[in-house]
Amino acid sequence: MTEQKKTKKNLFVFANRPEPAAGGPLPGKAASYAGDALRQLRKDAAAVAAVAILAVLVLMAVFAPDFNEYSYRRQLLAEDYVNMPPRIRGLTWIPLFNGHATLKERQLSSLSDTAKYPEGCVIRTFNERTVRGIPVADVEVDYYLYKGAGEDVNFWFGTDALGRDIWTRTWRGTRVSLLIAFAAVLLDLMIGTVWGAVCGWYGGKTDLILMRICEVVRAIPNVVICTLMIMLMGSGVGTMILALACRNWVGTAQLVRAQFLRFKGREYVLAAQTMGASDVRIMSRHILPNAAGPIINRAVMAVPGVIFTEAFLSYIGLGIAAPEPSLGNLLAEAQGVLGLYPTQTLFPALIISLMMIAFHLLSNGLRDALDTKTY
Amino acid sequence: MSRYVLKRLGLMVLTLFVIMTLCFFVIRLMPGSPFDDPESSPELEALLEEKHHLNESIPVQYYYFWRDIIADGYWGVSLKIEPNVPVWKVLAGRIPVTLVLNLLSIAAAIPFGILAGALSARTAGKIPDRLIGILTVVCISVPSFVFASALQYGLGYRGGLDIIYNSAGTAAERLRSLILPVLALSFWPIATICRYLRGELLENLNTDYMLLAKAKGLTPSQSLTRHAMRNSMVPLVNVIVPLITGVLGGSLVVEKIFAVPGVGGIMTQAISSRDLWLVMAVLVFYSVINLVTVLLMDIAYGLIDPRIRLAGRKGGAA
Repeated sequence: MTEQKKTKKNLFVFANRPEPAAGGPLPGKAASYAGDALRQLRKDAAAVAAVAILAVLVLMAVFAPDFNEYSYRRQLLAEDYVNMPPRIRGLTWIPLFNGHATLKERQLSSLSDTAKYPEGCVIRTFNERTVRGIPVADVEVDYYLYKGAGEDVNFWFGTDALGRDIWTRTWRGTRVSLLIAFAAVLLDLMIGTVWGAVCGWYGGKTDLILMRICEVVRAIPNVVICTLMIMLMGSGVGTMILALACRNWVGTAQLVRAQFLRFKGREYVLAAQTMGASDVRIMSRHILPNAAGPIINRAVMAVPGVIFTEAFLSYIGLGIAAPEPSLGNLLAEAQGVLGLYPTQTLFPALIISLMMIAFHLLSNGLRDALDTKTY
Repeated sequence: MSRYVLKRLGLMVLTLFVIMTLCFFVIRLMPGSPFDDPESSPELEALLEEKHHLNESIPVQYYYFWRDIIADGYWGVSLKIEPNVPVWKVLAGRIPVTLVLNLLSIAAAIPFGILAGALSARTAGKIPDRLIGILTVVCISVPSFVFASALQYGLGYRGGLDIIYNSAGTAAERLRSLILPVLALSFWPIATICRYLRGELLENLNTDYMLLAKAKGLTPSQSLTRHAMRNSMVPLVNVIVPLITGVLGGSLVVEKIFAVPGVGGIMTQAISSRDLWLVMAVLVFYSVINLVTVLLMDIAYGLIDPRIRLAGRKGGAA
């Protein structure tokens, strides 16, 4: 009897169905789970906005570092283009992008010296006073003219203390952060899904041992795991991906396990087993698709956490190391000159905040659309 | 209950043992010796390594490590940052600062979070609720160090509050200089508490006892504060306790921004200068905080839900 393992589809005929059901098949297409969720998501204005923001950020992260001729590591020290304010041609009517800077406490008498202050670079003087008998003032200058840079020199986000273009560095940093986040979450999903599936499906001793391991890993704080990984492997993109996935997968495993426990007793699983489907096939084709919603939702929810952890590790000097930029170490570098050059902090801070907000909005929308309650 | 707590404590000690073992091996396998200095002679390096037992094989070192801790309570001395000072003495001045900063942030966040959550639930769907909703998403998403930079620029450089921690000042001055770091760290817990409480309250508002409260003539605000709030406060413990670990991560950076002499600052230094036992002590500190919060959570769960603490007795859980 066992030799006929494979059953042909046409062997199955409906026993009690002489004619098609009255009224014929239902018109229109059946809504799939994914289609339904997508339709729900499209109704959520915040989630749509989040997707748009993320799309722009990802595109910029991929392409924007090559928009100008500056590289992320070339230091324009010879030209003395250090701590340049941002200037964007065409947008100079916005105070932020007009390339002006304020020089503090300059001698009024020297302002007419064209060797020091090239023709037309002084915009206005204010706060005039005398210090030790010398009349001084704060001077707002067109910093590009002041430094002798031509019309065609434009640092859109300015330059840092080493004369590196912040536009290029910021977007490259965004690229690094996003890459690490996506890779770490993907790795977390892969390990967690397999681990959780094995736990949930096989149960018993396997489950007990594997879940105990999970508990121990979970008890180690994120900071400690990341630090240990970095000490062991040195800092870098690969280490960061591993370090960030290292603890997160436990949550995925627990989630997947719960889903497996929920579905493994269902009739369709029994049916598949009776038809001789292998364990792997049942797990991957019959149970896992049912758990897809919560898993996807968890993945999107995990991204901002990973971005944050990466940024703060790079910030304190444990993550991505110079000259490779990441949003974290860019902010750390800019922090030192915050009082003097706040724009150096502004752009990386804006981008990381936008990115995190967008991911949170998207995960909120997904949670409603997929109608899953996580935690 | 005491049996349940004891069992949890035992598990905690076991976990700490695993973590410390892991830390030990990673720290010892880390490339580079702490005495690797081009200016000192190889003989001196060898002598120093011998003094600190670093020349033995790793298993022997591991044995010494535990023997010292268990027999003498000796956790080693700092090798580089403050040479020959016991590691816990190095940290003794720093741990309270970090703890004060973190606990203050959470303590400051609790009333505001509860207020915002109650207001949001009370006006569900109306403009205040929408506004709080937007603020909540912003506060949960924007990293604490971005808030820190913004506050330092806006209220520090421009507003005249202390830009960095005033470690030389009197207690009042020190506390004053902690305003900005505490503020930067408290946005996230405020938003987390608010979001949780709003959900919890909305669930409670639809219950029968709220209908009764309405029927007996209480105004919506009265019934919210006297009945719905009470029931929502108990599970709030489970949100507040894990906030400690969350805030601790951000505080590493915020401490750096405001030059607060806490544990965070010394960790990076200890790692980069290969100050082995100091690294160990810092990691143990973070692990213990984590384990204690988990323990507190377990106890809180046990207090709230008797089924959990009884499960152990029947042997059903194990």
